[in-house]
Amino acid sequence: MMAAIQITDTYYLVLSAALFSIGAVGVLVRRNVLVMFMSVELMLNAVNLTFVAFAKTLNDTSGQVIVFFTLVVAAAEVAVGLAIIVAIFRRRRGMTADDMRVLQG
Amino acid sequence: MNPVIDYHALAPEIVLSVTIILCLLVDLFIPDRPRLVPQLASLGVLAAIIPVLTLAVSGTDVSMFGGAFVVDNYALAFDGLFLVVAYITLLVSFDEIADGDYYGGEYYVLLLTSVLGMVMMASSRDLVSIFIALETISIPTFVLAGWRKHDTKSNEAAIKYFLIGVLSSAVMLYGMSLIFGFANGTKLSVISEYSAGSPPALFAVAIFLTIVGFAFKVSAVPFHFWAPDTYEGAPLPVTAFLSVASKAAGFVALLTIIRFGFFNSSDSWQPLIWVLAAASMTFGNLAALRQTNIVRMLAYSSIAQGGFILVPLAVAGDVSGPSAWEAVLVYLMIYAAMNLGAFAVVMAVSRRTHSTEISSFAGLGRVDSVNAVMLSLFMFSLAGIPPLAGWFAKFVIFRAVFDAGTTAAVVLGVIAALNAVVAFFYYSNVVRRMWFDEAPEVVSSPRPASVALTLAIGITVVVVVVVGVYPEVFARLGQLAFASG
Amino acid sequence: MWGQQVVFWLLAIAMGAAAIGVVRSRDVVHSVLFLVVVLAGAAAQYILLAAEFVAWVQVLIYIGAVVVLFLFGVMLTRSPMGHDSNRLDNDQRWAAGVVALLIFGVLTALLVDAFGGQQINFGPELVAQGSPQAIGSDLFRTFIVPFEVVSMLLLAALVGAVVMARKD
Repeated sequence: MMAAIQITDTYYLVLSAALFSIGAVGVLVRRNVLVMFMSVELMLNAVNLTFVAFAKTLNDTSGQVIVFFTLVVAAAEVAVGLAIIVAIFRRRRGMTADDMRVLQG
Repeated sequence: MNPVIDYHALAPEIVLSVTIILCLLVDLFIPDRPRLVPQLASLGVLAAIIPVLTLAVSGTDVSMFGGAFVVDNYALAFDGLFLVVAYITLLVSFDEIADGDYYGGEYYVLLLTSVLGMVMMASSRDLVSIFIALETISIPTFVLAGWRKHDTKSNEAAIKYFLIGVLSSAVMLYGMSLIFGFANGTKLSVISEYSAGSPPALFAVAIFLTIVGFAFKVSAVPFHFWAPDTYEGAPLPVTAFLSVASKAAGFVALLTIIRFGFFNSSDSWQPLIWVLAAASMTFGNLAALRQTNIVRMLAYSSIAQGGFILVPLAVAGDVSGPSAWEAVLVYLMIYAAMNLGAFAVVMAVSRRTHSTEISSFAGLGRVDSVNAVMLSLFMFSLAGIPPLAGWFAKFVIFRAVFDAGTTAAVVLGVIAALNAVVAFFYYSNVVRRMWFDEAPEVVSSPRPASVALTLAIGITVVVVVVVGVYPEVFARLGQLAFASG
Repeated sequence: MWGQQVVFWLLAIAMGAAAIGVVRSRDVVHSVLFLVVVLAGAAAQYILLAAEFVAWVQVLIYIGAVVVLFLFGVMLTRSPMGHDSNRLDNDQRWAAGVVALLIFGVLTALLVDAFGGQQINFGPELVAQGSPQAIGSDLFRTFIVPFEVVSMLLLAALVGAVVMARKD
């Protein structure tokens, strides 16, 4: 009976698969740049959750080191990405993020 | 237990890092001499080539951090390629960046950071290093693509490239996380050992996701749709850098991860690469036929050329010797020379005409015969016509296909051959327009091409002609890089 | 062990619902707030997995910095705060739901097949392995080159972001 109540790594892997799918669909469906970007962040969090779950199952610290690296890289990406978005909206004042249509052809 | 660090092996990275910081400081404290930073940047790149040469001469392979970072002939060959490409990119950047209303110093800082990522990529032998190297290459180029801040096209180039870039990293990372879970480690050697067993179906999915992430970076069809807009919107030197250096780095990542990591489960990656190669060649060429802007044409043509580079990878599992790996290196070196050269000439001509439409190249043969000859050489080389270097690039691809000899390889070889014929039409179209059409009236003020731009054209044209006549030069380099497996 | 189960499921359901909220919300500010819930949930899950260091880094970087940047982004681009335009196409919405379920279903089946029943040995060893000391020594022994290169990357990202965002 212990196995039934013990949390296994499958719990976390399935949760992260759910987050990853939701994020992927968000990127594909939404047209608002900021929301697309947030969906990518969801996907990155799913990745991190998988890495931590494996690091714990395999008892291997390097899985957590990767998470540290992806967090840092994500921060750099956010800084650069939002700077680009701000530059665009400074240039074309008065439009909303929804008017920015990307990934269409 | 402290790690053993060989500073000689790390010297290229260290020299580049020091150069980046110096550029930043010089730009800050000596702002009234704008030519100092570009000079410093190109000196730094040249200085970084010195340790690459001394390491190559010393001939001993260095493996650090339990095999996560390896400096061998393979790494050094690509280091050399990246640094030379970086130097030529700097040469073609001087005029464009100085003339436009750009931020000069910061441009070189970002460009060199991207090059630092490439040099690191060549030596990386574990997933973490490959990921960090790839991001160090990509993130500065997101900004560089939008460097013409006041141009809507450049803005859109940046945001499109950025979103695709972060999306592809997320997909790639998810694949890597699953691979980590399977192989119980991030080193490629560990993954290779694991894949020699009989991994479950999910391992193939993980490989698929990882390779799809790289496919975005190398703009392989159907993950290419960002490339034409980004190439057109970015400043021309950045476009040249993206289509040559950044693309080559993506291929090196793919090559490294397949050769050292996934090689044993070739059933998982060979069909995927096969499809990517066939689709990229065919779609890239057909789309290039319809373009009226030479930058967009070169963008689609570089997608097609990327397809050719994928061909030896798609058959690599069935080739016993190193000829498939050699083909990738040789093709990348030749492609870098001819594509950079083509972009350099386009830049030189557009300084006079202020246009990159193919129609503005009409009659160039009479107006500016030197540049017309140069562009003709690069176009014929891209089309693969002997005795220019392009033919040898195609030759090594077909040699790898024959070495594999399987049905799938032969079919891919036939597709490649047909595409080579199609490509000839649009490359020769540009040449025909230059020599046989009337020149349009040019009203704008010409800006003469500088010494640096001329030097860049000179270096690339020498490579294209010399390697075309004496292909043994690059063939020998390829053999050295992959000697002893 | 039941306590762990209850906490996991509460967090998982909150994270899943909030993730759908991020993707579906018509209001960008609501999306950001839903994102905070997902990020905080992930941090709590890391604590549950005894990954202490990663959990606090998640709180500091993601919730502390990234979310604030997103809010600045919303503010500076004046994205709609109300409930107009910004909606999904209806036909796309159903297709999207199906695609999401499909990806999720396939991944889950494969994940259970490949990793089903792998145990996590919760104990003092697992807690020690998530400590800053363990991660720090791994970081500076094995991953020192990526670490140094990432610092150059952050410098470049900083410079690039300033150039892009400044007014001129």
